[in-house]
Amino acid sequence: MSAGWLILAFVLPLAAGVPLAVAMGLAGGALIAAADLGLLAVPTNAYAGIAKYPLLAIPMFILAGMIFERSGVALRLVRFIAAMVGDWPGSLALVAVLVSMLLGGISGSGPADAAAVAAVMIPAMLRRGYPVSFSAGLIAAAGSTAIVIPPSVAFIVYSVLVPQATVPALFAAGLIPGILAALSLLAPALWLSRRHGWGAGSTEPRPPFWRSLREAVWGLAAPVIILGGLRSGLFTPTEAAVVAVAYGLFVGTLVYRTLKWRDIHAIFAEAAEISAVVLMIIGLASVFAWAGNTLGVFDGIARAIVALGERPALVLLAINAILLAAGLFLDAVSIYLILLPVLIPIAQAMGWDLVWFGVMMTINLAIGQFTPPMALSLMITARIGGVSLESTVRWVIWMVLAMLGALALVVVFPELALWLPRRLGY
Amino acid sequence: MERPEYRLERLLGALSLALICLITLANVVVRYFTDFSFAFTEEFSIALMVILTFVGSAAAFAAGRHVRITFLVERLPRRLRLACEALAQAATVGLFTALTVLGAQMAFDEYRFEVTSPGLGLPQWWYSVWLPLLALLIAVRVLGAAWRYWKGARR
Repeated sequence: MSAGWLILAFVLPLAAGVPLAVAMGLAGGALIAAADLGLLAVPTNAYAGIAKYPLLAIPMFILAGMIFERSGVALRLVRFIAAMVGDWPGSLALVAVLVSMLLGGISGSGPADAAAVAAVMIPAMLRRGYPVSFSAGLIAAAGSTAIVIPPSVAFIVYSVLVPQATVPALFAAGLIPGILAALSLLAPALWLSRRHGWGAGSTEPRPPFWRSLREAVWGLAAPVIILGGLRSGLFTPTEAAVVAVAYGLFVGTLVYRTLKWRDIHAIFAEAAEISAVVLMIIGLASVFAWAGNTLGVFDGIARAIVALGERPALVLLAINAILLAAGLFLDAVSIYLILLPVLIPIAQAMGWDLVWFGVMMTINLAIGQFTPPMALSLMITARIGGVSLESTVRWVIWMVLAMLGALALVVVFPELALWLPRRLGY
Repeated sequence: MERPEYRLERLLGALSLALICLITLANVVVRYFTDFSFAFTEEFSIALMVILTFVGSAAAFAAGRHVRITFLVERLPRRLRLACEALAQAATVGLFTALTVLGAQMAFDEYRFEVTSPGLGLPQWWYSVWLPLLALLIAVRVLGAAWRYWKGARR
């Protein structure tokens, strides 16, 4: 009976537009009340669900990413990469993908990345003949890989829910698949650019290489500091993020001088609200998870799914289909909190590596972030470019297919994800 | 862009976040230069994070910026859409009112039984009392936003 009730109490309100956090809290509370487990479990679990040391890394990475984006790092990275690759048909598409990858190495979430790159790149690409609908689609897709490329807020949440997969191991495992996913976009992007002749007939002078390197080096150093600090064991993920915050404030106020006191207050206030949304979902999801686990609801569903599929490949395919579908409607962190309690017992029953499973899930959810109709990243870049979501579909479809190809590679060759963490000894 | 009515939440959220940064940064610096670790201050950071979550969510819920699926609702006829909106508002107010009452009971129990915190041995209710207080703030903010919404919808 419990599984049916859970769906009635959770899925229906969620579909009707009740905020996810509220739907999870109420469904969890309803289960607790129905099973007579004692309603004090609701505030206790909500509090304990948020008050966890590893979760501190989430507001810190959100803040660090925002500081770097607002301080104008994106613009300087664009100039530097453009100076490196030159100007030829499709070159700006390459620049957009590379800059998105680098920013993904600083911030931990896709939409903010996509917004920063779009603001700089869409006007530049328009001047060189690329249609805005294409640029918006490409940047949304490239920015979405930020949740796969370390540091990643999504991996931190995954690690809190699946303690066997540590944050450093997940970060290391995400690096190669994340780069692969971003580079996979180049195939359709370069092909389309050549075919339509976008960016042909160079007229603008190339930015001077050394000066653009000197300006960009502050931004280029950020991923080195974050990932290097983690790798050396000097910092915990939370501390690495705080060091990135301090470094970003230093660069923004003293080196680039782009951040004024008013900007800093706005950045902290906005980062606080974005973090609050994520953390509130986590807190109320733990009420939901505690109720579901105590009553054995999730295990029951997982056992039913495992019993359905005799063949692991079929189960894997089904899970990928579910994740892609879920990714169309919600962001990665939310989907982890809803689906992991069911998916982890399945992965364990199948004997899958949980680090690889996390990377695979995250690529799926990255694809969902730029696949219409409910694509968070794409909505943002389309709004910045002033084009409709529909107009991007004819280009975005190729990028979805390309990244599905990268996903297939990671699924078929788990070593793409697992080689680096093993090499680093995690 | 600036919403003056949520200034308090913005300020408190920014302050909590800044304090967490300072505590964590101080930890790194002190550990790097001395053998001394004051990792027990994690307790403050974590309590601040709970406060951050609730004050930030107050503005996010009231302004409709919390994560929700609007794709289906937007495709409904007007009457049904308004009904869904009412449901969402009632659910949010209901949940946070319940959290206020139950959270107060939780904090009172901790006060009564003199529960102390695991790290510093401080009274646990110093931390947990913020949950009911700020849950009430969320309920009030969402009620206020709902009031303005229905005043606008009637016109």
